[in-house]
Amino acid sequence: MRDHKAQIKQWTRQQTRLARRYSIPIIILGLISSVIAVGLAWCAAELLARILITTKSMKMVGFYLAGFVILSILRSAVLFFQEILATKAGIKAKHQLRMSLIHSIMKIGPSVLHHQSSGILSSLMVDQIESLDGYFSRWMPASVLWVAAPLIILVFLTIVEPWLALIIGLCGLMVPIAQAIFGIGAAVAARKQFLAMTRLQARFLDRIKGIATIVLSGRTEDEAQKLLQSADELRRRTMRILRVAFLSSAAIDCAMVIAIILVSVTEGSQFVHHDSWNQISVIHALFALLLIPEFFAPLRSLALAYQDRARLNGTAESVLELPDVKAKQITAPTMLNVGTHAPEIVFDHVSFSWDEARGKAIDDISFDLKQGEILILSGKSGSGKSTIIEMLLGFIQPTAGEIRFNGVALPKIVPDALTKITTWIGQKPVIFAGTIRENILFAKPSASEEALQAALQAASIHPFLSSLPEGLDTRIGEGGYGLSGGQAQRIAIARAFLKNAPLLLLDEPTAHLDPETEKDIFETLKNLIHNRTVVLATHSTASQMFQGLRLDLHHGKLIAQTRVN
Amino acid sequence: MTDILENPENKNVEMNINSFKNANYSVSNQPISASTAFKQILKVWRKRYFSLFFGCILSLIALGFGLGLMCLAGGRIAMTALGIFAVSSILLKIMGVGRILMRYVERLYTHNAMFKALSDLRLWFFRQLAKGSASGLGFRHRGDVLSRLVSDIETLDGLYLRLLIPFIGSILTFFVFIGVVGYINPGLGLTIAALYSIGAFFLPLVTAFITREKGRSIIQGLAQLRIDIVDFLSGLREIRAFGAENRLQDTIETKEHFLFQKQQDQAFSVALMGVLAFLCGQLAMLCIFAAAFGLFFDKITPFQTVIALFLVLTGFENVIPLTKAGGLAGQILNAAIRIVGINEKCSIVPDGHEEAPLNTDIVFKNVGFRWSDEHQWIYRNLNFSIEQGSRIAILGASGAGKSTLAALILKVVLPVEGVIEFGQKDMTNLTNESIRKRIGWLSQDTHLFDDTIRENLLLGNSRATDEALWQALNEAAVADVVQAMPDGLDTWLGEGGVKVSGGQGRRIALARTLLSQAPVLLLDEPTTGLDADTEKEFFDILNRVAAHRTIILIMHRLTGVEKLDKIWRVANGQLTLEKQ
Repeated sequence: MRDHKAQIKQWTRQQTRLARRYSIPIIILGLISSVIAVGLAWCAAELLARILITTKSMKMVGFYLAGFVILSILRSAVLFFQEILATKAGIKAKHQLRMSLIHSIMKIGPSVLHHQSSGILSSLMVDQIESLDGYFSRWMPASVLWVAAPLIILVFLTIVEPWLALIIGLCGLMVPIAQAIFGIGAAVAARKQFLAMTRLQARFLDRIKGIATIVLSGRTEDEAQKLLQSADELRRRTMRILRVAFLSSAAIDCAMVIAIILVSVTEGSQFVHHDSWNQISVIHALFALLLIPEFFAPLRSLALAYQDRARLNGTAESVLELPDVKAKQITAPTMLNVGTHAPEIVFDHVSFSWDEARGKAIDDISFDLKQGEILILSGKSGSGKSTIIEMLLGFIQPTAGEIRFNGVALPKIVPDALTKITTWIGQKPVIFAGTIRENILFAKPSASEEALQAALQAASIHPFLSSLPEGLDTRIGEGGYGLSGGQAQRIAIARAFLKNAPLLLLDEPTAHLDPETEKDIFETLKNLIHNRTVVLATHSTASQMFQGLRLDLHHGKLIAQTRVN
Repeated sequence: MTDILENPENKNVEMNINSFKNANYSVSNQPISASTAFKQILKVWRKRYFSLFFGCILSLIALGFGLGLMCLAGGRIAMTALGIFAVSSILLKIMGVGRILMRYVERLYTHNAMFKALSDLRLWFFRQLAKGSASGLGFRHRGDVLSRLVSDIETLDGLYLRLLIPFIGSILTFFVFIGVVGYINPGLGLTIAALYSIGAFFLPLVTAFITREKGRSIIQGLAQLRIDIVDFLSGLREIRAFGAENRLQDTIETKEHFLFQKQQDQAFSVALMGVLAFLCGQLAMLCIFAAAFGLFFDKITPFQTVIALFLVLTGFENVIPLTKAGGLAGQILNAAIRIVGINEKCSIVPDGHEEAPLNTDIVFKNVGFRWSDEHQWIYRNLNFSIEQGSRIAILGASGAGKSTLAALILKVVLPVEGVIEFGQKDMTNLTNESIRKRIGWLSQDTHLFDDTIRENLLLGNSRATDEALWQALNEAAVADVVQAMPDGLDTWLGEGGVKVSGGQGRRIALARTLLSQAPVLLLDEPTTGLDADTEKEFFDILNRVAAHRTIILIMHRLTGVEKLDKIWRVANGQLTLEKQ
């Protein structure tokens, strides 16, 4: 547990260090703004003194009025640039953070979804990072300014009137004490709330995905009530934080009010008792009174930004829940390329388990697949076919044994080289939001129009293309709305033709298709298989049309190995 | 996705949905206007009116204490300076304590009231979404719907907390300026009130106007980014397989850059307006000094000067935050439109008013159906019936219209011609929910929720006991699998049921359907994606367990183990009886 906290601290510190340099100019502007505020208060106090005390000469009125105008304009300029720089700082920091997350997730690969639902991950990468805006643009500068700005004001006040400086300074000191008491409570509650928020969001996303199932089960009202309950739960948690957070800003209010009352009462009495001090004191008292809001403003900004800080901690927790990226980086003395021809693949007593409790997904499997040969993995769902394919894609590493490509152990191969020689077609190809053309060119954006047409031809996409209103440029949505399973699969096959890689991995490509469509797809695949090393995982009997090495799997174990030529 | 319409035979559903012009359906193709959106939201919030109103009153009291405190403090110093003996500091202390307390109470109360109103809105949104989603989400992106439900609704809290309450406060301040400063010196009072109006009303309005377009593009930019990120996460395999890491990163960076650009634009306008608002306040102070020296205005007394000055100082404090809130108005407006417009371009089957009867005979009488006037008829003069308790299969090749038939039976779409009767009653008059409670639906697209097995099963029947759950699992032949899991019924299924194999997932879904006690089971290609052995097992189970229920099997072919009373074949928009 302590280790976990230390990790969070380390991560936050790292982010803070990266973003610090963006906040330095904002801090400098903030300090300048405070100095100008002192000047403005002085001008106002001098003017008021000349109005209140009839004996005071009316000289310098013009000077102070001009000063007031010039300083006002200066301050407005400073305020403006402070805002602009704060936005920029937030943007730069968010960008950095998002990109580093994308890199981590790419490194971990699809197995990240075994640890975390895509709802939580997407909310982490979009909303949670956006919500950190305040941390970088507000909290970071405020965390320095809340000490520095009041101190500058206090220095000027001490020069003018030490007694008043002491009163205001003491009141100011109440604030960090109150912050320490309330702030810690608020931070803990805020972190909990943040987790609740993320979980709620994951729940929403899942319910949205299954909305038709809910509606068609006649369960809309029940689910709506459950949703209301979780939304209410979220509200209660949020209120718990706010109760404490508002208390800490009430403490600032309290300190400020006490300072105002003390300054006006103390100085008020002084005027009565020490007539001789009258002239000077009234300026000082007004000066102090005018400065009190300025003195407390940075403290208030910090209190407002306190939630922003808690947000960073919440994000840190979500990020650290991702599987450890560093552990997966394998340091090989020499990284090797593999040739561009169809590879030979050897499994040497390979085992794999997702976690200890669930047992082995793959148990001691060995085979030798020759160049250009077809490997047919057959077995029921859950027998370990997909796990073997995941290994060949390099997403997971065997817990025991070794996989070799052309005699080179898999971990020693440059990942890019592996990607170059492999094409993969899964059960349900992911269709990205965009047109059909974009989706096929995804495999090779640099492909020429001829190559694209050839791929379309080879994958037999033309028949259904002609039925679409805009042909190749028809938009298909997330999840491939409007495309049938067979059509989506043909897009995947066209991608594979376009990429033209020597190793072809087919992970139950017909699992969601009816037998006629399945037969069509297999026919089309026959063209693709030519001259490539192929691994085909399937439970379909139609796969008997392919010849090669056949492995029968059951619960991760190899029960039969036959070679048909 | 769990779209009943997303089946092979409805290739071009997207066009169908978009070109819906059928008189039977309420299809809103017109974009929703801001006023309609707000009217709808206010309607949802009707029962919160009192607490929202009371929150406004509290905030006004708090503001009053704040104004009083600064005036008294300044006035006190002025009085002593002028040699008038000061009144006791009791009033000052009351004002001070009042301000601290009231501000705390007011903020807690208003936030709580607002969050309650947001919960109401989420509930309303979900119900609306459900109304338009019997056939799945269609062209609406999951990520987009989620951001409407979560962040757009959250944005709306600014409507009350950051716009309405400060606005009401500034109306009070405005009249205080008119009343107090105007009493001292009408010309000065009017000038300051005018400056205040510029700062507190006009500039926020201008900000709102300028940022309206930008606010919309910020929300859109965010939604676009989310879509790309969801694509990125679900397509990790494809990305690796095609070496598209850099390209995907570029796409995301482009979307992010677009969003950032808009955020920066907006920050620029808001900062500019904020500065102008600040200058209004400074100008108001300058006017008071001028009046004190008798320049431009009638001269005011020193005491009046101090009161006016501190009033202005405190009163103008909320002007800069108000201008910033004005910048939110655009976002809030667009969020409201997006929330209310969730069912835009969706067809909603009108709800009936009668409960579905106990009798479950389903009779098609001269039913004709097509997606729109421009489309070809899928069915014409279709007549057939499914008697209570009978077991029938409807066979047909891909594209013959099998899933459209399922949609008609489930009242996801209404017939264009003719009548479908459910228990001798016209289905149009029956409530959608009651029909769907009577018909248990299972297809390859049935969604397994990212929840425990127990919660997934309870979706079928929320009052089922553990015993009933186990019995259903047993009937669906997965009890042993669940028993072997370390947490039994409380095992987490994972997103889309990733923690179990496809066949096991389908059987859990079957258990859920069996649990529902629905007298009619509509099974639409329930075994697609299962291997031959598992498929046979599945139908064996079905033969045994659903003895007393009506079974409607929609398949492209039979395995031979199904026990059936009738087999219908769909071809050319007609059903022909194949076996009696």
